[in-house]
Amino acid sequence: MRFTRRTAALIALVSTTALVTTACSGGSGGDADGDPSTLTVATWVDIPPELLEQFTEETGIEVEVNSFADGASAQTVLRNGLGSNGAGLSDVHLVELDWWTEMMAVPEDWETLPAVDDRWVDWKVTQGSVGDEIKGYGMDIGPLAIAYDSTLMEAAGLPSDPEGFAEFIGGDDASWESFLDAGREFTAASDAAWIDSTSTAFQAAVNQLPAAFEDPDSGDAVALSDNSSVEGLFTMFGDAAEEGVSAGVGIGHADWGAGFQARKWATVITPAWATGIIAENAAGLEGWRIADVFPDGGGNWGGSFFAVPSAGAHTEAAVELADFLTSPEAAVSMFMLNGQFPSQLDAMQDTAVAESPNEFFGGQEVGGIYAGLAESAGDTAAGGFRGVDFAGIQTLVMDGIRRIESGSENTSAAWKSTVVEFDALGLTD
Amino acid sequence: MKKVKDMTRQLSGPRRIGFSSTMSKWDIKLSPYLYVSPFFLSFAIFGLFPIVFNIWVALHDWDRRVGQGDFVGLDNFVWVLNQPAFWTSLQNTFSIFVLSLVPQLILALVIATILDQNLRTRTFWRMGVLVPFVVMPVASAMIFSQVFGQFGLVTPLMHELGWFTDVDSPFFHNRFLSHIAIATMIIFRWTGYNALIFLAAMQAVPRDLYEAATIDGAGRARQFFSVTIPSIRPTMIFVVLTMTIGGLQVFDEARVFDGTGSGGTGQGGSDNQWLTTVLYLFNLGFGDWQDRMGQAAAVAWLFAAVIIFFTLLNFFLTRAISTNTSKTTRAARTAAKRQAAAARSDRARSDRATQHSAEIASTEKGRSR
Repeated sequence: MRFTRRTAALIALVSTTALVTTACSGGSGGDADGDPSTLTVATWVDIPPELLEQFTEETGIEVEVNSFADGASAQTVLRNGLGSNGAGLSDVHLVELDWWTEMMAVPEDWETLPAVDDRWVDWKVTQGSVGDEIKGYGMDIGPLAIAYDSTLMEAAGLPSDPEGFAEFIGGDDASWESFLDAGREFTAASDAAWIDSTSTAFQAAVNQLPAAFEDPDSGDAVALSDNSSVEGLFTMFGDAAEEGVSAGVGIGHADWGAGFQARKWATVITPAWATGIIAENAAGLEGWRIADVFPDGGGNWGGSFFAVPSAGAHTEAAVELADFLTSPEAAVSMFMLNGQFPSQLDAMQDTAVAESPNEFFGGQEVGGIYAGLAESAGDTAAGGFRGVDFAGIQTLVMDGIRRIESGSENTSAAWKSTVVEFDALGLTD
Repeated sequence: MKKVKDMTRQLSGPRRIGFSSTMSKWDIKLSPYLYVSPFFLSFAIFGLFPIVFNIWVALHDWDRRVGQGDFVGLDNFVWVLNQPAFWTSLQNTFSIFVLSLVPQLILALVIATILDQNLRTRTFWRMGVLVPFVVMPVASAMIFSQVFGQFGLVTPLMHELGWFTDVDSPFFHNRFLSHIAIATMIIFRWTGYNALIFLAAMQAVPRDLYEAATIDGAGRARQFFSVTIPSIRPTMIFVVLTMTIGGLQVFDEARVFDGTGSGGTGQGGSDNQWLTTVLYLFNLGFGDWQDRMGQAAAVAWLFAAVIIFFTLLNFFLTRAISTNTSKTTRAARTAAKRQAAAARSDRARSDRATQHSAEIASTEKGRSR
């Protein structure tokens, strides 16, 4: 065949058209009705590949993972997708508790999932529901613990074994007050700070309140100047920060990783999902341990749900996948891979979760410790009421604590300026 | 001869306008617009529509997910103007802008002058100054935040010298220092780019001006200020204008300065030390608040007004300067013409004399060196 210019142009045209059309149809994965050949799942945690293979064996459906670097990027994609009628969404999405309320602003965006009896702790199911309708299947929960650097404790001449440390911060009756007093004792004996950031601890304490910033009945914000419970916590943590208990560098800060390596603080508030993150940032350091008591009984920070956007083409199969990914067996294998503590009752009692030694934390059975903490936290772990303004007010108040940590203001000045900023927002007019 | 005959036949024959000639008529009239249309179409979709739609958003309560709420008139604007954070953000933006603009201009001019010389491996050096520009702003900002962090390069050194020892990380604490840190990132990124634009302008300066200046005994520094700077003035104005528009919209650097944006970082500092206006807009519309899209849109409009004001100010400054320069050049040109004419008229007389004096001048110069 002679290769004239016209044939060349024809070939180019045909191949371009083919390319464009396949590119457009690539994402949808099969016909809208009937069984799909592929399902997509959006997540920022690693899913064990053998789990996905098992799903393919059982159903014949391939699973494609859209993996995100962190929760925040997954949140952005989800937010944009819901705002534009489902464009760019996966069939199943992992949703973090911290932005759950935001995503559930329009409940019809999400498929209602059939109830699965006795799989999760009760409060996890309540968190994952809007009214009576279940909108998300729980993956993990974030029972709170305190991780500490036993090397620094020993150097300061203070108890460094887990039992001794637990007793040092107040034992079974530990409160935030006794935890911060222990911090004052430690900082007097050491160059390092007691905690990476009091604002993190303050946040944990705020999350233990039944209704921190808003009235659960009306959903309206409560005036900060009248909010005595938050003011009490603010003063308690602020005073401790003023005394130099805190290094003022919380998780997510540019200096956080380097601070670990420089051994700048002795304790970190550690929800179960953060154990892996700490192991990564403190890589190469010996001596980090986890204590089995937590101030004021314990609490919960975060935890995620698998939910199915209604805009998807294969919602029925997607619900099946969400169900599969949150089975107790799946939860156990995810704990073994990433350290996410299961929200499933059977998985919590599984010996693989409860008795696996954690290499970074000196062979401690981390899963068992978190199970105990989750149990002692009980239903308070469900957390308090969170309305639309919760996240914004929380950041505002935590900024006040950070100003004390950095030495810009003392506690009373920081509270006053925080109240002024709050009033300027005009939420209570 | 034959050609003329053909032409007359065509003219006298019946007027028949074929399809192809209609097409060619349209071709002349329409094509230019067709050729420029891609820009205008994409501008209409991605530029004009959002700008107009933004007014609509700014006049309503607007929730990120649910969308349009009640019409609230100018309430959003009033709300924004009552926020102390908005005014702080404007101050920060201008402070960072000035701190980055001035050193950047000076550095870019110096680099461009050096590159304008006859260097060995010229292209290598010229490409080299553009390397920082290739790095993503977020990536370079993350590296710089390590440099300025508590455990970075600068802070321990400062502490050793006894500066700012009362705080662990002065760059994340002191407002002015945080501005310097962010301005450094901007300077790092944009200096090379601006230097290349200056270099292009410098290359267009006629070489004989330099030769003449050399003959007149002007040194390198004098040549720079009296020949280079006046010749590239229009380019300098262009660079300052683009820097004004770009520099006021600082976002990336401020956003990732103290962390990656989780756990309360990335919002401009606990005391809004480095909260820029665009970052404030982002925090309102895309941060913790779910229902402040309207307020964010109002910030966008207010800030656009500020930018337009400064661009207009710069525009009038530019016009004043450029008319001045063209006047002087025109005057100089007429003066030169007159001189040339005069010279021509008595060339015969003065030819020998000029040559003679030039000889004297050059020998004198040779002696003085």
